[in-house]
Amino acid sequence: MAIAVERRPQVVARRRNRRRAQRGVAHLLTYLGLLVALVFFLGPFFWIVTTSLKGNEDFFTFPPVWIPPEPSLSHYAALFTRSSGARYFTNSLVISSLSMFAALVVSLPTAYAIARWRFGGGLLSTVLLVLRMLPAIALIIPIYIMYKMLGLTNSYLGLVLVYTVLYVPFAVWLLVGFLREFPMEIEEAAMIDGCSRLRALIQVIVPIIAPGMAVVALFAFIATWNEFLFAVVLTGIETKTMMVLVTSFTSGGTDMFYGEASASVVLGVLPAFAVAFMLQRYLVKGLALGGTKG
Amino acid sequence: MRLFALTVKRKRWEPWAFASPSLALIALVIIFPLAYSFWLSLNNFDLSVGAEYEFVGAKNYQEVLFRDPRFMGSVWNTAVIIAPSLVLELILGLGLALLLSRVARGRPIITALLAIPAMVSPVMAAMAWRMMFGVKYGAINNLGLQLGLIDVYFDWFASTALALMSVVLVEVWHNTPFMMLVLLAGIQSIPQELYDAAKADGARPWQSFWSITLPLLKFTMVVGVMIRLIDLTKLFGLIFVLTYGGPGSSTETVAFTTYLAGFKDFRMSYAAALSYVIVGGVLVLTLLFMWIQRLREARTA
Repeated sequence: MAIAVERRPQVVARRRNRRRAQRGVAHLLTYLGLLVALVFFLGPFFWIVTTSLKGNEDFFTFPPVWIPPEPSLSHYAALFTRSSGARYFTNSLVISSLSMFAALVVSLPTAYAIARWRFGGGLLSTVLLVLRMLPAIALIIPIYIMYKMLGLTNSYLGLVLVYTVLYVPFAVWLLVGFLREFPMEIEEAAMIDGCSRLRALIQVIVPIIAPGMAVVALFAFIATWNEFLFAVVLTGIETKTMMVLVTSFTSGGTDMFYGEASASVVLGVLPAFAVAFMLQRYLVKGLALGGTKG
Repeated sequence: MRLFALTVKRKRWEPWAFASPSLALIALVIIFPLAYSFWLSLNNFDLSVGAEYEFVGAKNYQEVLFRDPRFMGSVWNTAVIIAPSLVLELILGLGLALLLSRVARGRPIITALLAIPAMVSPVMAAMAWRMMFGVKYGAINNLGLQLGLIDVYFDWFASTALALMSVVLVEVWHNTPFMMLVLLAGIQSIPQELYDAAKADGARPWQSFWSITLPLLKFTMVVGVMIRLIDLTKLFGLIFVLTYGGPGSSTETVAFTTYLAGFKDFRMSYAAALSYVIVGGVLVLTLLFMWIQRLREARTA
């Protein structure tokens, strides 16, 4: 310590400057590293979007056109009309929305039972874990045969039923967390005023935990939107989803029909972009529990 | 009186009534099909032959385990894809999480942007990359030619090694963000005081990384790797779009082989047996995962 006291002011100042410069360099390198990462992780999206906006003549030039001089929506138009993209996009929207609502309606009372009566809470975490780990390939074979017998293949109902059930444990688990934060007194006050338990749940609790339910709903939406295995096996020509539609463009080998293919990828990843921003705080929880993978 | 009734008299049936819709659906769509599938796996139901089938006992399982080189090959392929993917995802995810933890301004927005690949469906990720790898019109060949890095239009899926590397690349692109998010949460839960104390004692940044960050992040890393490991055993959509198992069957994963047995060869019973063997493997991994988590809880308690 004695040495430090004897230091001349210039030396101290020089050291401080050097340290500040080092910190500045470290700062710069940090942002540089993140910039490289952003280019790697978002580059493919950028390229897909620009490709989907190219005119047909832009594909055949060298040097390649990276940003189309005259962006056009012609590939989207072709996708929607020629490849029935409008229908499949609607199918995805309808199936995901229905599954999302059904999963919420089924999960809420179960979550309530677990949060209020400590009913099967331990069992829930085991069921959740087992379902999270269970390979979907083990379910698709029996379900395909059962659906064939029942005539449920190529129907919205069949796919929505599977998606709802696959999503219930995850939804219950998240909802229990939100319900436990909810003060029991409010609900009891409503019940003393003559409300039944179910009515108290619907009219008193639901409005208050609505933001939490929105989180569950968005995860459910993206998970069903992204699901592929059940979709490719169980859907037919009328009920294909966007995930099944994109695979139809691979038949052209490595140089497939780029325009419509890229347009369909853009539409297919759109919900992921929206949800990544809306659910920032919950991403770790959601992804770890399989919130985005059907 | 009403209040009394409300607080003391617990209706036994009420929790069951509330939980019954989801219990019924899980029984109907998960438990019954799994039981049915096990029954199927003991028969020789083959849709390409006909609707009749008979009980054959463990014959399918014998074939899966001892006489199916294609399945054994797919187990090997899956392992060959998983190992480098896990290592790269862990290293890159840790690096990104460390970088993000040092950023003062703009962290939420950068994190959300980097997280996007993990939110995208494997099918979409694979499709985007398949187009990037495209021979004539793909971004990679065109960029390489423009920069003079390559001099021919290259086929990135021509050989087994290249195809496997391409699959690993796409998988790493797709799921490194997940590892990054998990590890970032882990890093942020380490108390700042530890770093301050180390700094006061004269520790260099890399010293605090080795003796504070890494040891305290160990369990988070194990959990992240286990989750990815279990999910990677199900790798399907990515393979379906990127290589469809090719060239030959060199990138077929266990899930993809089972899919082909069921929905290309229509050997339903055999596919059911395959899927049960996979379930067995995943079950072992899951038990390992639960054991690690219990270990962690015991340590922290």
